[in-house]
Amino acid sequence: MTILGEFALWISLPVAAFGMVLGYAGGRTQRGDLVLSAERTIYAVFGLLLVASVGVTAAFLGDRFEYWYVANYSNANLEVFYKVTGLWAGQRGSLLFWALLLALFAVITVMTNQKKNREFMPYVAGVLQTILLFFIVVLLFADVNPFERLAFTPADGRGLNPQLQNYWMTIHPPTLYLGFTAFTIPFAFAVAALLNGRLDARWIQLTRRWILTSWLFLSVGIVFGMRWAYEELGWGGYWFWDPVENASLLPWLTATAFLHSIQIQENRGMLKVWNMSLVLLTFLLTIFATFLTRSGLIESVHSFAQELKIAYIFLGFMGAVLAASVVLILYRLPQLRSENQIESFLSRESAFLFNNLLLLGAAFSVMWGTMFPLISEGFTGQEISVGPPFFERVNFPIGLLLLTLVGIGPVIAWRRATKRNLQKNFTLPVTVGAATGMVLFGLGARHELPLVTWSISAFVLTVIVTEFWKGTRARARIEGEGHVLAFFHLITRNRRRWGGYIVHVGFVLMCIGFAGAGYNTDSRFNVEPGDVVSLASPFGHQYDLTYEGLSMSIGRGERNLLWQAIATVSVSQDGTPKGILTTEKRQYTNRDTQPMTEVGIRSIVSEDLYLILSAMNDTGGALRNDPGAQGIDLQVLIKPLVNWIWIGCLFITLGTVIALWPSVDRVRLAREKAEGSSELAAAGAH
Amino acid sequence: MKKNGRFMVGLVGVAAVVTYLIWTGVSETMVYYMTPVELIDKVSEDPTFHDVGVKVGGMVIPGTYSRVEGELLHVFTVRDLVDESSTFVVEYRDALPDTFTDNIEVVIEGRLRSDGVFEANTLLTKCGSRYEASPEELLGTGQ
Repeated sequence: MTILGEFALWISLPVAAFGMVLGYAGGRTQRGDLVLSAERTIYAVFGLLLVASVGVTAAFLGDRFEYWYVANYSNANLEVFYKVTGLWAGQRGSLLFWALLLALFAVITVMTNQKKNREFMPYVAGVLQTILLFFIVVLLFADVNPFERLAFTPADGRGLNPQLQNYWMTIHPPTLYLGFTAFTIPFAFAVAALLNGRLDARWIQLTRRWILTSWLFLSVGIVFGMRWAYEELGWGGYWFWDPVENASLLPWLTATAFLHSIQIQENRGMLKVWNMSLVLLTFLLTIFATFLTRSGLIESVHSFAQELKIAYIFLGFMGAVLAASVVLILYRLPQLRSENQIESFLSRESAFLFNNLLLLGAAFSVMWGTMFPLISEGFTGQEISVGPPFFERVNFPIGLLLLTLVGIGPVIAWRRATKRNLQKNFTLPVTVGAATGMVLFGLGARHELPLVTWSISAFVLTVIVTEFWKGTRARARIEGEGHVLAFFHLITRNRRRWGGYIVHVGFVLMCIGFAGAGYNTDSRFNVEPGDVVSLASPFGHQYDLTYEGLSMSIGRGERNLLWQAIATVSVSQDGTPKGILTTEKRQYTNRDTQPMTEVGIRSIVSEDLYLILSAMNDTGGALRNDPGAQGIDLQVLIKPLVNWIWIGCLFITLGTVIALWPSVDRVRLAREKAEGSSELAAAGAH
Repeated sequence: MKKNGRFMVGLVGVAAVVTYLIWTGVSETMVYYMTPVELIDKVSEDPTFHDVGVKVGGMVIPGTYSRVEGELLHVFTVRDLVDESSTFVVEYRDALPDTFTDNIEVVIEGRLRSDGVFEANTLLTKCGSRYEASPEELLGTGQ
């Protein structure tokens, strides 16, 4: 199976190259047979990459350690689940997986456009094959072939990094990759529009669902990564402004900007060049992120040398895509003129533009900070780095301005807002926001950043809730429906708008959660069994934690576990016993590392109680069941409002799915059309 | 035109604010990333460097690690990756990452005090998600 997979990967190279040529030629000559062949090569490449991926998985399942990739990311004892997900555990498999997902999306695109949008399809097929070809070339020629064999067969593999043996880590990379690859489709349509000269908002309308899908997967993928870091890295944070995280944030920022700016083009025929540039930039950033996340380019200058070949290939490809796209945009510039002008500073167009500018500013600062060590070393010879303080200093103010715009954008009028429009929409929300700030201050909130964030959040939520309320009330009155029914009908009749508002609510909830970090507390105790530590949370809860002792469980190599030392803590909140919480040290068999820490988390709406077994005085104490030698260092964190981040993400998902769902009218229209054409066909048969 | 002008002022204003934030952000938070040799040379040339926060990448010397009983204070000696004679003692008051051993490459952030002891505020071990081995290491796993 694995041999077959390797063979399939090689075959996919000429097929993709052939398909690429056919696509462009078909678009140029308008010959239907060429276009059809180009589309068929997409099916073929997908099939071949699927066989190749199955081949890699088969190698994992069969413990074929003669393969470099399997030897480095698996071992005989690894759980089957992690062998299956081995395909995306490391760089080599990830690149193949990326190509596979892209091929899958390309197939979906071809299948759904067999009868329509034919003026786009040849070029779309050509562009998609070009990108597939690039990834296949990388896999085969950039020293990252997942089928590379070692000169010998090791008795066992090195196993999977224990930190990656976590549920969230298995779904985080594929989710992000789905987001990255889905964005390739809008990019392909944009290039096709530039090539075929159909430069109105058609390419945007055609790919709106792809854009939203990609954005959803990017958002959720990033949050999955945060969740993994929070549970697994063992120090209570979820975001570290690490280069790898930043790399995934960059396309999200530009995709979010794009998602907003295309609405101006659809509604007002403006910003055509801007939208072309954003789709190009986002696509390039997804490639950049794919490259960066699985290589050590930034973290360590030393690994740069090993990565040189693949780095050059990626940078070369990105440069070529950039150059070709810029030339195309310049060539089409006369047709990309704006149909309208911004009429007023106080208008929805203007709010959208500021949103775009802020998002790009954030993206630029993140890029700058991430690349700063390389930039400074290149210019001064002295490596200078900037850390989380830099990113926070720059992005917190930007984030607050964006949050404010979330409240302003949806209700300010298009073209020109009148004084009445402003007064009518903003008097109540501004009052609520200010009142929230004062009440919180009165309750003792003194940290500026959370205080400001929560006040603005109250303002934004009031705007959105008022909009829902006004819409529901109007509908209830006009249609004579009950308020609940009217609320649901309101959403289903304009899914884009109301789905978008629900996404905004999710974003606000996440910001409220982020601001909670301003009230994090961190206490450390050295405790013996029976000791009780008491601490008060910033939001007024009282915790009494009783350390019950340390127990040891010997894994004997099952699931690669050598032993687990489990510290048990009884939790009492506000005088009421709330059960036990455990935190562990785990030693895995096949890594020459220190034991890994598993944290204990107990969530309530207002905060998380987060226990870390920092150190054990004597590892043998647990084994001998001797309470006299079971002293530990216990770190107790209280993380206010962390749950709101995950809840916010649920709202974002819900809202995006609502916005994506085909509207009732469209479904009916499509059905009527289908029935109509079958009647015609039936009539024709007579 | 007047309204467009106002709009342009707004756009330029946002761009200026972002640029200002990045500029001051870099100058106020940047940290020199040095090797132990570079740092030792630098402080002997320019004693004010004792107060400057720096990031240093070095190797923990096996056997030098000790923990001060009763408090969260870790002490160990770090050497240059290349020049093995350039060393200094590091004091670190926080929980150590899981991956820390006394034979690992670390990146520490803090300052080199005038008594020659490096006071570290953060400590990272160098390895991360890339857990790949050379063929020689792979051979070793079979034994």
